[in-house]
Amino acid sequence: MHEIGPEIYREIYYVLLLPVMCGLFGFLIKRLRNEMGFLGFVLTFFYSLRIFLLLQNQTFSYSIASIAGIDFRIYVDNLTRFILLFNSIFALLILLYSVISMRKIHGESVYQLYLGLTLSGANGVVLSGNLILLLIFWNMLVFSLYGILLVGKKESVNAARKALTIVGVSDFVMMLGIIIIYVSVGDANFPVSPLLQLNTGVLISAYILLLVGALAKAGAMPLHTWIPESAKVAPASTMAFIPASLDKLLGIYFLVRISYYIFDLTQSMPIRMTLMVIGAITIIFAVMMALVQKEAMRLLSFHAVSQVGYMVLGIGTGIPLGIAGGLFHMINHAIYKVCLFLSAGSVEYRTKTTELDKLGGLGSKMPLTMFCFIIAAFAISGVPPFNGFYSKWMVYQGIIELNKETNLWVIFLIAAMFGSVLTLASFLKMIHSLFLGERPKEFDKVREVRFGMITPTLILALLCIAFGIFAEQIPLARLIYPSLPFLKIMPIGFWSAGLATILIIIGILIGIIVFLFGTALKPRPSKVFVGGEVLETEEARITGPNFYSSVHNIDMLEKTYQFGEEGAFDFYNYLRGILGGFGVLFRDVINQFFVLLYSSFAGVIAALGRIFSVLHSGELPGYIGWIFLGAIILLLLLAL
Amino acid sequence: MSLNSIMDFGFVIDRYGIFLTATFVFIGFMSFIYALATITHKGHRLEYYISLVLIILSGIGVALSRNLLFIFICWEIATFAVWRAVVFYRKPDQVSSGNVVFITNFVTAGIMLIGIGILYLQNGTFIITEIEKIDITAITLITIGIFAKSVILPVHFWLIPAYASIPSAIGGVLAGIAENLGLVLFFRLFSNNSNLPPDFCNIVAWIAVVSSLIAGGSAYRTNRLRYLLAYSTISQIAFILLGFSVGDFFGTSGAMLYILAHALAKSGLFYGVGTIEDVTGEANIKNISCMLRISPVLTVNMALLFSSIVGFFPMIGFFSKLMVVIGAVQKNIYFGFVAIASAIFTLLYSDRFYHELFYGEHCDIVDLKTARKPGVVESGVVFILALLSLILGILFYEILGYIGGL
Repeated sequence: MHEIGPEIYREIYYVLLLPVMCGLFGFLIKRLRNEMGFLGFVLTFFYSLRIFLLLQNQTFSYSIASIAGIDFRIYVDNLTRFILLFNSIFALLILLYSVISMRKIHGESVYQLYLGLTLSGANGVVLSGNLILLLIFWNMLVFSLYGILLVGKKESVNAARKALTIVGVSDFVMMLGIIIIYVSVGDANFPVSPLLQLNTGVLISAYILLLVGALAKAGAMPLHTWIPESAKVAPASTMAFIPASLDKLLGIYFLVRISYYIFDLTQSMPIRMTLMVIGAITIIFAVMMALVQKEAMRLLSFHAVSQVGYMVLGIGTGIPLGIAGGLFHMINHAIYKVCLFLSAGSVEYRTKTTELDKLGGLGSKMPLTMFCFIIAAFAISGVPPFNGFYSKWMVYQGIIELNKETNLWVIFLIAAMFGSVLTLASFLKMIHSLFLGERPKEFDKVREVRFGMITPTLILALLCIAFGIFAEQIPLARLIYPSLPFLKIMPIGFWSAGLATILIIIGILIGIIVFLFGTALKPRPSKVFVGGEVLETEEARITGPNFYSSVHNIDMLEKTYQFGEEGAFDFYNYLRGILGGFGVLFRDVINQFFVLLYSSFAGVIAALGRIFSVLHSGELPGYIGWIFLGAIILLLLLAL
Repeated sequence: MSLNSIMDFGFVIDRYGIFLTATFVFIGFMSFIYALATITHKGHRLEYYISLVLIILSGIGVALSRNLLFIFICWEIATFAVWRAVVFYRKPDQVSSGNVVFITNFVTAGIMLIGIGILYLQNGTFIITEIEKIDITAITLITIGIFAKSVILPVHFWLIPAYASIPSAIGGVLAGIAENLGLVLFFRLFSNNSNLPPDFCNIVAWIAVVSSLIAGGSAYRTNRLRYLLAYSTISQIAFILLGFSVGDFFGTSGAMLYILAHALAKSGLFYGVGTIEDVTGEANIKNISCMLRISPVLTVNMALLFSSIVGFFPMIGFFSKLMVVIGAVQKNIYFGFVAIASAIFTLLYSDRFYHELFYGEHCDIVDLKTARKPGVVESGVVFILALLSLILGILFYEILGYIGGL
């Protein structure tokens, strides 16, 4: 085991400060913006890797300051170093992509500054060993989220505003939870030993308050609505950076911390049940919304929400395999979702649109992008042997293990599996809409994106494959299991990724052979007729968006979709509406009541004034009379 | 009961007094700079200077005095100065607002004087540190005066017409100094005082936190710029009172820090709003939009100031709010819930006003091409206050070290 030397302190400061400092220098020195950003993120990756390697299977904690009795502490364990490493990997890949994709975009000059600020904040959250220090970094991310969402289109302000409100409100709620723990326990450091039991109203309320913060950051229902809203206006790299990767990592990281490092979630079935219900609802509702979307980024954003459901469901089971599955799904999701956003962003970069009905047939023009997209789409859909399958498989097993505690496990399992099926259906539609079918003529000159944009996407696609085939050997053995040392993980059933991969490859090869020697060599072109009229190619083009119109048109679902599109399930609208109602009550009833009281009081004073003004006759004898009367009363009083 | 004991107008120069004095003087100085650009008429300037100096002096007097009678004198000077400031331009609606200000403050100050008198009769002294016998009637009467001066429900209503009428330059001083007088007196007289009846501070804390919530909600649903500032001030000042009433280290130090945070941010917002009114000639948010295009600098500065009011890191408002809520939860967990609800209202109204003012969807309602750009002095003052809110947020532990004696 490597001895922890003083260089670790230095490296921790580096990963905290380098991203934001380099972002700031890049902002100030325009000519060196890309160089500074790149330098900062590469160095951050380097130092994160060093921390990862130097602190294997060790915990490291030290106090950076003690203010007002609060011990601001850094804490590094296996979970920290793994999230820290992936923070910097995603940041670096996305920066590489955005150097080209963000050129000449509105707000370009501050983009890398916000990237740096976000990465520093995210690293700070992960490195905090004290909840109040964590809150400070967490709060810093509100600023950077708001700022980065303003970059892109000029209409993005509404999305930024929505994100600010939802995340800001959840931060305040979380602040209260942290304070309750601080006051109850006497300090805010973690891990807490022994773990806090969820058996008093105060601690349960603290857990729920913290949970709100975690779920809002991860984007679980009902706190998810800022993500689809942002997807409409934010650049692909922004969507990939925050809602798809860093926020998911942080939200789920925090959920794991509070559930198994501060509280003992395993001992509270009602809370676990609540988490699982949230997870199941998130999976189904979000994927149902994704299914009928006609715009690529919005569709992906609903999937970014839906997949959180698996993580919450897995962690909520309280079963070791489920918890590990949830954590594994977090990292898998970040990999394939970033890949999907970047691929869709590449399509947008070349075609200037993300409307699915305007796209199609781009596979031959952008083969690498298509390859990456398909790999990531299969991964998110849980197709073996990709990484998404393995983590979902672990979550399923966790749910099945739950059968000893509750009969509801069947419902959760159905929700999870059904969600996976719908995800696949949704991505088949998207793959067709983007890459297959007839290509609109205007895209004839479209070509593959440049090296700087395709490289990060390719790396992520390859990671989807590697983390699936070598799931046990690399991510689980080196990242996930060491992060959960308190769990005894016993897989059930049998799964050999290597064997499955070989079988799948054989199947694909047979399919190719059948295709080549069957239909491919004998194409039979035919014209498309409607009522005897030959349709031109463009009119006859079968676009993807309407694949599932029949689902949309089912009576009950149609109404539900309509309500959904109108914002009936949007927490943000309810928050504003309900608090707005209270605002009116406070302003027009309570305030007015006091104003009325004052007016009545002032009216009485004025009336008294008018009555006494009668005595002001303006005649001297009258005043002399009053003086004498007053003197007599005074004398009488003194005599008494 | 010799005349000497009554006329012992000595001062107490402790870290709190110095901190408050420095804050008040700085806010006054900023007002002075802002007034150089906005109050140009000679006669008006004279009256402005008189009001400014009186408010600053009364603030310093209350912050440093140990004698209740002297504090009362400063209190009344402040009432007079604020009243003159509200009727500054002698317009009929200003005179009407001035009447509300004067009657409310004067009547409640009279009530407070009775309370001070009772304390004097029981203790034989006006010196705060020598008061040991605390009568519930006396402290109730004094608290009414404190509530009125520091705009706590139910005697808060005078601030709304006052803010609507007062010139922006003095408005910043009203927000940053005059309304803190009640808080300072509460702190000196009651905070961490073991002689108080057991439930007194709890009741005050409840009134404060509910006041903060109600004012926050009202701010969210108002459309007039200055009404927003008024309700926001009521809400924030009540938050500070919550800190003082729950006492202990976090409550008291947090409230002190909050006084600074609020004074900087609210006076900055007042000057910012004044600048917007000057530029657009409008006072209703429905008639103002897209200020970003007129002044990006003001947009950024106002964002920082609103962030400080809301309590976002790294603004100084974050730490003050955090500490007050810690203090509140230590006392009673329910205070924490209501305080956070109030903080959420603060976020909502700040978000609404900021975005509707600086972004908005109807950029045609203001003639952007002909609109006057804010002057350098006006923007500069707002910039300094915003920058200080940021820098002091980053260096909050230095201030905390000073006021908390750490």
